[in-house]
Amino acid sequence: MDMNEMILPMLILLPLVGAFLTLLMGGKRAKLAKLVALVFTVATFAVSLLLMITPVGELDKFNFTADWISAGGLKMSFIFVVDGLSILMVFLTAMLEVLVIAFSYKESDRPNYFYALLLAIEVGLMGVYLAADYFLFYIMWEVSLIPMYFLISWYGGPRRHYSAIKFFIYTHVASLVMLIGIFLMVFQAASINGVADFSFEAVKTALNGSPDSLFQSLVFILLFFGFAVKMPAVPFHTWLPDAHVEAPTAGSVLLAGVMLKMGSYGIIRVCLEALPEGAKYWQYVMIGMGILAMIYGAYACIAQRDLKKMVAYSSISHMGLVMVAMGTLSEIGIEFAIFQMFAHGLISAMLFLVCGTAGHNFGTREIPLMGGIAGKVPVYASFMMFAFMASLGLPGLIGFWGEFGIIAAFYQWIEPKDLIYLLVFCLLSLLLTAGYYLWAMQRTLFGRLTTKIDTDHIHDVDRVEAVVLGVLAFAIAIYGFWPDLALSYLADYSAYVGGLI
Amino acid sequence: MMFMDYVWLVPLIPVLCFVIVGFLGNKMGPKAAEGGFLVIIGTAASFVLSLLVTLEYVGFIGDGNLYPNAVENHIDWFKIGIYQLTFGYYIDILSCLMMLFASFISTMIFTYSLGYMHDQGPRQRRYFAEVALFLTGMLGLAVSSNLLEMFIFWEIMGLCSYLLIGFWSFNHPEGDDKADNAASAAKKAFLVTRLGDVCLMGGLFVLFFAMGGHLEYNVVFNADNLAAAYENNSEMLTLASLLIFGGVIGKSAQFPLLDWLPDAMAGPTTVSALIHAATMVKAGVYLVARCFPLFALDANVMLFVAVIGGFTAFFAASMAMNNMNIKKVLAYSTLSQLGYMFLSLGAGGYMMACSIAVTGGQIVIEEPELFAVGCLGYAAGCLHMVNHAFFKALLFLCSGSVIHANGTEDMRLMGGLHKKMPKTSITMLIGTMSIAGFPFFAGFFSKDLVLDVVFEVFEESCGTEEMIFIALWILGIVTAFMTAFYMFRMWFMTFMGEYRGHHCHGESPKSMTVPLMILSIFAFGAGFALLLGWDGVFTFMGSEHSEGQILQWIVGGWDRPNVGVHWLEELFTNWKTYVTIVLVFVAVAIAYLMYVKKSINPGKFSKDGQSVLYRTISNRYYFPELYNQFSWKLGYDVARGVEFIDRQIIDGSVNGLSNAVVGSGDLMSKAQDGNLHTYASVVLGGVVVLFVAALALFYYGGVF
Amino acid sequence: MNQLIPIEYFLTFGAILFVIGAYGVMAKPNTLIVLMCTELMLNAANINFIAFSAFMGDAYGQVMVIMTISVAAAEVAVGIAILLNAYKVRKSTNADDLTSMRW
Repeated sequence: MDMNEMILPMLILLPLVGAFLTLLMGGKRAKLAKLVALVFTVATFAVSLLLMITPVGELDKFNFTADWISAGGLKMSFIFVVDGLSILMVFLTAMLEVLVIAFSYKESDRPNYFYALLLAIEVGLMGVYLAADYFLFYIMWEVSLIPMYFLISWYGGPRRHYSAIKFFIYTHVASLVMLIGIFLMVFQAASINGVADFSFEAVKTALNGSPDSLFQSLVFILLFFGFAVKMPAVPFHTWLPDAHVEAPTAGSVLLAGVMLKMGSYGIIRVCLEALPEGAKYWQYVMIGMGILAMIYGAYACIAQRDLKKMVAYSSISHMGLVMVAMGTLSEIGIEFAIFQMFAHGLISAMLFLVCGTAGHNFGTREIPLMGGIAGKVPVYASFMMFAFMASLGLPGLIGFWGEFGIIAAFYQWIEPKDLIYLLVFCLLSLLLTAGYYLWAMQRTLFGRLTTKIDTDHIHDVDRVEAVVLGVLAFAIAIYGFWPDLALSYLADYSAYVGGLI
Repeated sequence: MMFMDYVWLVPLIPVLCFVIVGFLGNKMGPKAAEGGFLVIIGTAASFVLSLLVTLEYVGFIGDGNLYPNAVENHIDWFKIGIYQLTFGYYIDILSCLMMLFASFISTMIFTYSLGYMHDQGPRQRRYFAEVALFLTGMLGLAVSSNLLEMFIFWEIMGLCSYLLIGFWSFNHPEGDDKADNAASAAKKAFLVTRLGDVCLMGGLFVLFFAMGGHLEYNVVFNADNLAAAYENNSEMLTLASLLIFGGVIGKSAQFPLLDWLPDAMAGPTTVSALIHAATMVKAGVYLVARCFPLFALDANVMLFVAVIGGFTAFFAASMAMNNMNIKKVLAYSTLSQLGYMFLSLGAGGYMMACSIAVTGGQIVIEEPELFAVGCLGYAAGCLHMVNHAFFKALLFLCSGSVIHANGTEDMRLMGGLHKKMPKTSITMLIGTMSIAGFPFFAGFFSKDLVLDVVFEVFEESCGTEEMIFIALWILGIVTAFMTAFYMFRMWFMTFMGEYRGHHCHGESPKSMTVPLMILSIFAFGAGFALLLGWDGVFTFMGSEHSEGQILQWIVGGWDRPNVGVHWLEELFTNWKTYVTIVLVFVAVAIAYLMYVKKSINPGKFSKDGQSVLYRTISNRYYFPELYNQFSWKLGYDVARGVEFIDRQIIDGSVNGLSNAVVGSGDLMSKAQDGNLHTYASVVLGGVVVLFVAALALFYYGGVF
Repeated sequence: MNQLIPIEYFLTFGAILFVIGAYGVMAKPNTLIVLMCTELMLNAANINFIAFSAFMGDAYGQVMVIMTISVAAAEVAVGIAILLNAYKVRKSTNADDLTSMRW
């Protein structure tokens, strides 16, 4: 078989094999667990780098197709495809996996299960981003869900069971609704094609060949609901803060960094690509939900006392921006929706690492209990400030370009409609974002040294943590200085989707 | 082209210093670890390079020709959809000027910092790294070739301002209260300027799409492009101008957003001198000057600029009148002087807007006389910006020297320091005379030019505008009087009379006094630059070759280098000049009588600090309370509401739903009572029901 | 084929037997009697099977009956065993006392 064709299955098989091998490293071999996990994630990362250095026009040489189930008029196949939309997500997943496994090297409670779960999550995530068959896509979607459930409920904080079950029920209900949508879509396509082929290409061709706006708008809302819960869009978001607060740091990073992106990825990949008529019908709803999430998330952040919870709400706010961008249905909007997904993946990963570290190193994440610790932990304070600044959209860092492009797309959409006043909401959310981050920094890092926690025994980030945070900071800065490094992958794809609509 | 090609090094050298000092500083050995020398050398190199570039640009070196147009060079950066964004440099006389004075004053201030910060130990490394990054922002802003690039450097400056105001926000040498104060001041500064910045960002979007996807200076400010966009949709250009000016209001601390600057004095005095007096707050003036062609398309925008500037000048000066903190007096005077600059730019721009018309895709100058007044306003604003940078940096550094020696910022604990620190005293007197507008000092020339422009605009306009401009002129004159009063009050309280403090170290070290002396030369002599034709550098000329070029007005004026001499003649034959001079001397005399001779008791006017006016001013017109209430109500209270909705309504209904499911399950499970008889009865009952149903279907439904 | 006894008699007999059994299962407190009543119901079904088999002239019904008898035997064996164990634990064969599996 052609070597190129094996690349994409490798991205799924490597973590899968790694997960099983890590699982074997129990008992006396527990020390080896993290090494095995690290080796396999690094190998996966190396493979994803291979994709990144391939010119974006030649990515289709990696396409992998194999028959799977073909019975009773149903046709489901293993199809893996990487394109301008998924390549950044694959890269992000592989990179964050390496970083979180390195970062959580101190895990001592059943480490083999811990690292195996992280690898299992990678299997699901890679599967979702690479699959080009609805059945495979759905299965991978569920595969990513279950290890995360166990990660939260075994390794989480005090209310972990409540949070884990809440996370599971929310996303599972959503994915069932999505499944109904997928079946409706596939069988509608089957009535045109003659065979119920689950592949993305077949469904898209059939549906776009004879657009039926009523049908598309109906199916769109089912699928959209499934994806919006995952994003999460207000008001289906309350699982996220709970899950983040209770999840272990590594889980939070993956949850915010790549799992939330599954929702927006699905909206672009399925809702916009296959159901452009439906997207046009629900456009205002998408924009409205996006604006709501932006403002609502930002306000909710101000009221939080827990650092991780604040960052979780900020994720909701930033994913609201992505929703707005997708809602514009324009080329710029889609380009920067994907860019913002990537940017937010890097930034939120850093944010959760920083906030999780607060819990480990200081014994608390409560903002009012801290204060003036910058003098005690200067390196930590620098990283925290960097992450907060990146997230509030400081120009020159990657977060700014996401916001800039999205607001540009939004402005381009509202200007001909004489709705320019809507720009105020975007600008308000930028202001609020700056407000809650700076307020949090003032209360944690600066001012008088706290007496509410034992400041003699807090310690700064150690060498490994500093390296991991440094890598993320470097990525945020380099992509911020030269956004073309990421945008160059997106131009063709966003032009293509923009053309569909 | 010799040095011009390397102009990108000007902002790059400081950023390299930042990287070396900030990240590698701890590996450089014990003495160099503080990084001061490296940063000073880097800054000096930037200054030399900007000097060379400027000299080449004006034709003193190189091939000897002055550049008729701005020099622009860029590389492709990235694309937004179909719109290509670029990254490059743009050199015209305005950017040369910004580079020159920013790098020169920075060199002075960093040298001074060596002495001022020497007792701060390892923290110096952080200080020098952050000021180096700040300088990158300032110089980058000066050489940027488009508004987006400019915005990035603009925000980098904002970040550094935040970091440096908060330099002592933890482990403050004078205790935790000061640390809290610094932390809160830093946050306030960042947030208030951020409020302006989001407006500016909105303005960039409006402009970006109004100009067909361009933000490059040589496209956006091109006369033909502007005319085309104006005819297409003039409202959008007005909106863009207003939003951009919103950013300026935040950054340069003009009227509604002015309250952060006095608080920002919580940072080290060198930072106040560099960022909050000499450079960063000038970025707003620079932006208005840069966007002059855009702003000048709408007279109302320019009127707004002038009114905001004139009002701020007066408003801020009034708060300086009774302040006892030496740094805060200087902070208010900074606000006030910035107000003068905007007054001048706005009044000039208003005249210019009235003198031009857009017809047939071209901008046509209809009344060259009015246009010349506009040019003069522009020149006056820029000149005052430069002069102010010199004398205000000087004043802040002097106050730093005083604070360094006395360990306090309260003027009530100073006095009689002239004998103890003569060098500081003399240099500060020069700065004070300059800002107060003593004849032949730098501040005198530019300030009177500003007032002259406003008066001429009053004479040329009519109707409501006439009333506005005469009011602004009177405000300006009154502000000049107040400025002379409070500045001399400050100097007298600090250096004259009896010493009222506890302990004074005496004169500061040479590393601090030498920069003071150098700056005092400029604070005195920068005004004579007029004689060298420097006002011509700024003067807009109605250009015959405006088509397709950048609005040539900006770099025109070379062909009338003697305008400065001409203008000086007019200055000293003008009754208005003598009015201001007399007012200044009266103000100084009053200050002398009040604070040296003590023959007038200042308490008489304020009822010993009990009068309503005095208390209002002491409380800064209750602006900080207003800000607090505003942000608390609109921020935290709404946030609490959202939190309530989130926890109680959304999560409550979700939890309620799950409780309902679990509860109904509990209820149903009660049917399973474990009694054999119940089960058996239910089974049989079920069979009967099914049987009856089957029969019914058989007979009535016809199913079988 | 002459029939001395019409099929209704068999069916009625079976039905009466079934009702008696059902009554016993539902109403009798003693689990042993409940078990015996279950046997009654099974046998009522058996009678119906035999009757239909005879009247329709095929052997399937009788096959079913033999299977039912064997299943019933096994069932009684298991049932009695459970009952004895329950008696050992609870000292009672009263069905109302054996309700620990509720909810």
